[in-house]
Amino acid sequence: MSRISRRLRPVFGWGRPRVPVPRPAGSVAIEVRDLRVELGGRRVLDGIDLTVRTGEVHALVGPNGAGKSTLLAAICGDVPPSGGEIELDGAPWSQWSSTELALRRSMLTQRAMISFPFSVNEVAQMGRAPWSGLPESAGDDEIVADALRRTDVAQFAERPFTALSGGEQARVALARVLAQRATVMLLDEPTAALDLHHQELVMQVARERAEAGDAVVVVLHDLALAGAYADTVTLIAKGRVRAAGTPDAVLTSDCLSETYGHDIEVIAHPRNGLPLVVPHRPARTTRLIPTPEESR
Amino acid sequence: MTTVSGTVRSARGPVLIAGLSVGLLAVVLVAAGTGQVQISPAEVIGSVLHRLGLDVGPLPSVAHGESALWQVRFPRVVLAAIIGAALGCAGAVMQGIFGNPLAEPGVIGVSAGAAVGAALVIVTGLTAWGSWTVAAGAFVAGLITTFAVYLISRANGRTEVVTLVLTGVGVNAIGGALIGLLMFLADDSGVSAIAFWNLGSLAQANWTAVWITLPCLAIGLTFAFANSRKLDLLALGERSAQHLGVNVEKLRIQMIVMTALLGAAAVAFTGIISFVGLVVPHLIRMVAGPAHRVLLPASAIGGALLVIAADLAARTLVDYQEMPLGVLTAAVGGPAFFWLLRRTRTRAGGWG
Amino acid sequence: MKRLALAATALLLVAGGVTGCTDLGPGPASASGGASCGPVTATVASMDPEPLSPAPQPVLPVTVTGADGATVTVTDASRILPVNLYGSIAEIVFSLGLGDKVVGRDTATTFAAAEHLPVVTPGSHDLSTESVLALNPSVILADASIGPAEVLNQLRRSGIPVVMIDDEQTLDAVPVNIRAVAAALGVADAGEQLIARVQSEIDAAGKDAPADSPRIAFLYLRGTAGVYLIGGDGIGSDAMIEAIGGIDTGSELGLDGFRPMTSEGLITAAPDVLLVMTKGLESVGGIDGLLKMPGVAQTPAGQNRRIVDMADGLLLNFGTRTGKAVQALADAVHRCQGAA
Repeated sequence: MSRISRRLRPVFGWGRPRVPVPRPAGSVAIEVRDLRVELGGRRVLDGIDLTVRTGEVHALVGPNGAGKSTLLAAICGDVPPSGGEIELDGAPWSQWSSTELALRRSMLTQRAMISFPFSVNEVAQMGRAPWSGLPESAGDDEIVADALRRTDVAQFAERPFTALSGGEQARVALARVLAQRATVMLLDEPTAALDLHHQELVMQVARERAEAGDAVVVVLHDLALAGAYADTVTLIAKGRVRAAGTPDAVLTSDCLSETYGHDIEVIAHPRNGLPLVVPHRPARTTRLIPTPEESR
Repeated sequence: MTTVSGTVRSARGPVLIAGLSVGLLAVVLVAAGTGQVQISPAEVIGSVLHRLGLDVGPLPSVAHGESALWQVRFPRVVLAAIIGAALGCAGAVMQGIFGNPLAEPGVIGVSAGAAVGAALVIVTGLTAWGSWTVAAGAFVAGLITTFAVYLISRANGRTEVVTLVLTGVGVNAIGGALIGLLMFLADDSGVSAIAFWNLGSLAQANWTAVWITLPCLAIGLTFAFANSRKLDLLALGERSAQHLGVNVEKLRIQMIVMTALLGAAAVAFTGIISFVGLVVPHLIRMVAGPAHRVLLPASAIGGALLVIAADLAARTLVDYQEMPLGVLTAAVGGPAFFWLLRRTRTRAGGWG
Repeated sequence: MKRLALAATALLLVAGGVTGCTDLGPGPASASGGASCGPVTATVASMDPEPLSPAPQPVLPVTVTGADGATVTVTDASRILPVNLYGSIAEIVFSLGLGDKVVGRDTATTFAAAEHLPVVTPGSHDLSTESVLALNPSVILADASIGPAEVLNQLRRSGIPVVMIDDEQTLDAVPVNIRAVAAALGVADAGEQLIARVQSEIDAAGKDAPADSPRIAFLYLRGTAGVYLIGGDGIGSDAMIEAIGGIDTGSELGLDGFRPMTSEGLITAAPDVLLVMTKGLESVGGIDGLLKMPGVAQTPAGQNRRIVDMADGLLLNFGTRTGKAVQALADAVHRCQGAA
């Protein structure tokens, strides 16, 4: 009977959702093995192996069109794999109901949209939806307030989401994802619309979540950010894993230059040793605007 | 944009619902007390109390006053309330499902199908269920059309919102053509009958209609309200709603069924009444925000209020004549909609 | 959206119809001969029904079975409400001499004696329950031509006896209906008296029918939209036309009820006389307006300006004034027979 109900649970959502059990840092949250994804007849991902561990910030980097967002979507469960397998919390996707999935992974999409003018607070509250009916929902208000504070949008709490700027909306969406308190946080280019201060803020938030015991997977364009905040970096190019490991191991001049097809130098910051990623730019030897002497 | 403190914003909902309920009661009293048979509001209350077993208050003094009240007015007012509530709620749900404030039950083809069903019955002169045949035909046809629209717009196990709306547009156009054809085939009285059905009227209200539509409303409203949270989440977009645990496809099907039920029940007995499902939820959102926990009951009560008031106007605006209700709601609803459109576009840069 | 499409289609059709047909044929009457006999209005001396004198006294209570099969007991005939689509029931009641007991009327009852009575059919053909209840009638006489059925049910449920009369609108049904109305009001003898009178009037009218049967088309006109309906079998106009010895064009074409007629169809039908209702004629702008309508001027009737108009309340009712109505129609039509 319990076996039948276990099979039917994803279909009907019967019974209480199984809440994820807290795991020690470093345990596997998501395991991707030999993943292949085809979209529109084209093979976008080919033989990807990836491990997401709790307590870590895992950065996905690579050139445009490498398949980073697709990989994140596949991990998230939005895109069905054409081959290989993905395991979340030790079991394949089909084993979990929608609510159970929502307790285990949260996703921040590239663009934040909303159809109706919910307030910032209401949007953040939506992140708590998977927990409704569970004892953990008693702390909803506090968790949401905390999330809003961390993403520096608490001052907008009662404003309609639609009245905010793009960057502010992105931070509110992040607050929502934070409030969801899922084991794995998937962030798809969360820094794209943000200014420098808020970029750092977001990455600090990611670090804090990792230290609290969750797993964070971030797709980033800014390699220096990846180098500064990530524990593990996976470099993807043309649908394949080019390199994976610690930032120091992956973010090397040779590796990056080859992958990006551009001369890249990786230098250690003189004070804190964090990698500075500098693409080769021609030095400006000629002045663009002639001085009065030169034009005579 | 005005900054309203958290407590005031959250108090708006209950206050609005309370206000609307009081307004509804008032309108019911006025509507039940208005008509060619002279019955005062006090007598209305008295009559109700007597029926409930309390011998308090005056009974209608004029001849046939009691009959007029219980045979004619109350069924009409109650049916108006039920239909208004059904349309208001269905409109709010449609807008939530489609993530678009322009959606209303008519969009998914319920009205068009129901109109064709009614026209068919009128033209063929079917009387299998006596005077209920038209209503039955409208109801069944409305449901069938909705499902046809839904199935046509499905692809790869999903329904895309835009496809659904466009299919609905096509179905509405085809429905219009079919009705034109049926009118052509009908004789003079058939044409008037079809035309009047299309204009919407509560003149044929009676208790049986009430007992049939009331369960539909109860089921639909309860079910929608139970899913308020999920409907809220849909505003984040399909993907994000899915990530938060909402089975979007399942919810969509359920809500479409529910809307078809509500919409078909509403138009079956009265003919096409439009704009209620469009304007009422919009107004509610402007006052109390888009959260469905408040939006759904408020839209239901607001819709009931609106239809009763509109029916009252339809009965009393012109002496001894009765305007078609659907015409009135469209005549008022249309300009109101334009005003809403302009007003909300200039605020907050979005649909509010 | 659907309403818009329907309106647009209707607009296009009407526009197409009007523009497409304006080039047909010449203008009004350029025909030779028949100029001495033009349009005629068929009238009767008085539109009021002639009441029986002395007025009969209802003998009550009386139990009758209505045309719907229901058995109804009438105990009080002091406040009568006779309503149907054609006004014929009201006519019968007034002719029986009980006009002073009538409390309300339908829209078809337009004669002077009933003018002061409140109308209970707002929106022209449907009864309004409240209007009826406000009048507090003691008996209602109606037939299947008026509705809605729900309203009649509501009135029954309010305790008012509703007697349904048969709604057949033919000359043969007139005595049957008179008998039913008289029985329901407890004045059966007066009913027989009335039947005898009416029958003699009808017989007298039919006697003067000439040998050659003119082809008469009944046109139902509605404003200047360029659309008109021809009356066919079963309307009542066909019975009237046949009673005076004419041929009803609509029935001849095999149409029943009111049917929209194309201008070409009318030209092909080629009626000798056009029969129209007075109000309808006014709505299209009189004789000249009618002749301007596509197809009309090209018929023999149009060319000879043989247009007979008759008041609505007189032409299509099959009540007690039928005899007089038939006489008036016969008079108007036969007056010009032989001149064309």
